[in-house]
Amino acid sequence: MRQVRADEYAEFAAAQAGHLYRSACLLTAGDTHLAEDLVQETLGRLYVRWSRVDRADNPAAYARTTLTRTFLAHKRLRRSSERSTDELPETAAATSDTPLRLTLLQALGQLPVKDRAVVVLRYWEDRSVQETAAVLDTSPAAVRTRCVRALARLRALLGEDIGEYARP
Amino acid sequence: MPHDQHAEPDFSDDPFEARLSSALHDAGASFDTDRAALTAAGAAHGRRLRRRQQASVFGAVTVTAVAAVVGGTLVLPGGEGGAAGQPAAPGTSVNPTPKPSDSGVTEQQMITTLQKLLPHGTVSEQTGRGSGEKPGYSATASLVFDDGKGPAAVDVAIDHVPPGTDEAQQTVQCPDKVYIPYDSCTTDRLADGSVVMLLQGYEYPDRRTDTKRWTAELITPTGQHVSVNEWNAAQEKDAPVSRATPPLDRAALTRLAAAPEWRTLVDAIPQRRSHGLAYTQEPGAPVRSTLASLLPKGLAVVGRSSDETGFGYLVVDDGKGASLVQVNVQTGMNDVRDQLFDSGSEELPDGTLVAVHKEPGEKGGKGVVMWTVDSMTPDGRRVVVSAFNSGSQEAAATRKTPALTIAQLRKIALSPQWWQ
Repeated sequence: MRQVRADEYAEFAAAQAGHLYRSACLLTAGDTHLAEDLVQETLGRLYVRWSRVDRADNPAAYARTTLTRTFLAHKRLRRSSERSTDELPETAAATSDTPLRLTLLQALGQLPVKDRAVVVLRYWEDRSVQETAAVLDTSPAAVRTRCVRALARLRALLGEDIGEYARP
Repeated sequence: MPHDQHAEPDFSDDPFEARLSSALHDAGASFDTDRAALTAAGAAHGRRLRRRQQASVFGAVTVTAVAAVVGGTLVLPGGEGGAAGQPAAPGTSVNPTPKPSDSGVTEQQMITTLQKLLPHGTVSEQTGRGSGEKPGYSATASLVFDDGKGPAAVDVAIDHVPPGTDEAQQTVQCPDKVYIPYDSCTTDRLADGSVVMLLQGYEYPDRRTDTKRWTAELITPTGQHVSVNEWNAAQEKDAPVSRATPPLDRAALTRLAAAPEWRTLVDAIPQRRSHGLAYTQEPGAPVRSTLASLLPKGLAVVGRSSDETGFGYLVVDDGKGASLVQVNVQTGMNDVRDQLFDSGSEELPDGTLVAVHKEPGEKGGKGVVMWTVDSMTPDGRRVVVSAFNSGSQEAAATRKTPALTIAQLRKIALSPQWWQ
């Protein structure tokens, strides 16, 4: 990599690493070790493709898309999956001394990985349904389906008044 | 009115969604790490990847499959400003879709078509969105329709869904009532082979208002997808209920969704290129019921997942404690063959690879072990069966070993029934 490009890359990576890491923590439902691995993998891929990333309309969005796809590709290799179960556990938010972060991460962990990716893209990355569909290479209708299902599960797990825990 | 009409997040009118967003932002912001170290590690990884790529030019080493897959085909997420509705600009795409009709569908075509197909009445507040030239975007139209009994919002979205995929199946599958309460939901096959789901439900799952939302989701055998929603209010949210029910009954809603005009328009929308990852390919037999049929005798089933393709589980008990058995069925996995199997893997006469793993559980349950048989056919069909010495990966071990032996797991993984 030529020096100018290398500098640009370094600047970009330093500016994005924090946000990518936080996104990865939510995608992995709080698995911080896996989150670090995913961000490292993502930054590595961006390094290799930097000349193209650099010319993209929105390199930051490109980086986040790469992270999400890295996460899904990783999950694809796993031998055991999330329990995308139809049995809803006890409402975790019922115990008021549970910190929101833990409760929320546990609830995220109950979602199938693709549903979780939709939730993170829509409500953490603030992406539209269309953009979320583009990241996941699926249709807006499929995103809506996953979103409705994920919201219903989160509602059941967190309770309608999740905001009370978010804003003490 | 369609959910996806705006580029900005479109959930602000549901308090739960706003709260969830706020909670996620609080939770996300609380994570921090040594960014400098992470950045340095990322660059170092990039240099390693590059060396491997350069080496692969001489055939010495292959690039890791996952990186290669994500590599050439990343679709950039686009905003909606600017190019929407204009003809595709040649040369801006790495791999332009060759269809001649790639200019897409315009907002006006959508609105005109919807107005034409509605029964007698008045229409107002027409809006819509063209598909633009970017592949994979839907085109929408929405308006307020009044047949004389009160104004009602109606919207239509059309796009292309690859036929035969998990995505296509889910689109027309009635949701589980556990998650979404509704009055009725049916899925029917029409004479032309299209499948249509009619859902008579509510705008809010918790029914905090009486706003009804009736939906038709129709997919043709070639993957043309038409989605119609109608409400008994002039707006999807934040408008008073204006009538007892939405204006179109089941038959009229089906007619609207099945109109050939929509299919012509869908065909004009550029299609997504597949990027090779099998996100949407989850064919094969329903997993949970197939697993149940393959279990050895003498096991009681004490817990179960829903019965879908791709993934499922059972919790079994042989009288000595609960044991979780779960199965993933995937296709198109050849790209990661080298990451799943190595020289220690068994190769069957038909070329199927089999790997056996005994390892600690992945989710932190105390003392949990996971026994796995991973198998893949030469054409990339993978069945992974894992059994645990606990009824849940998160809960502590309930027994010394899983309720099934490796030989039993192997027999399940290699059953031809997964592909029938």
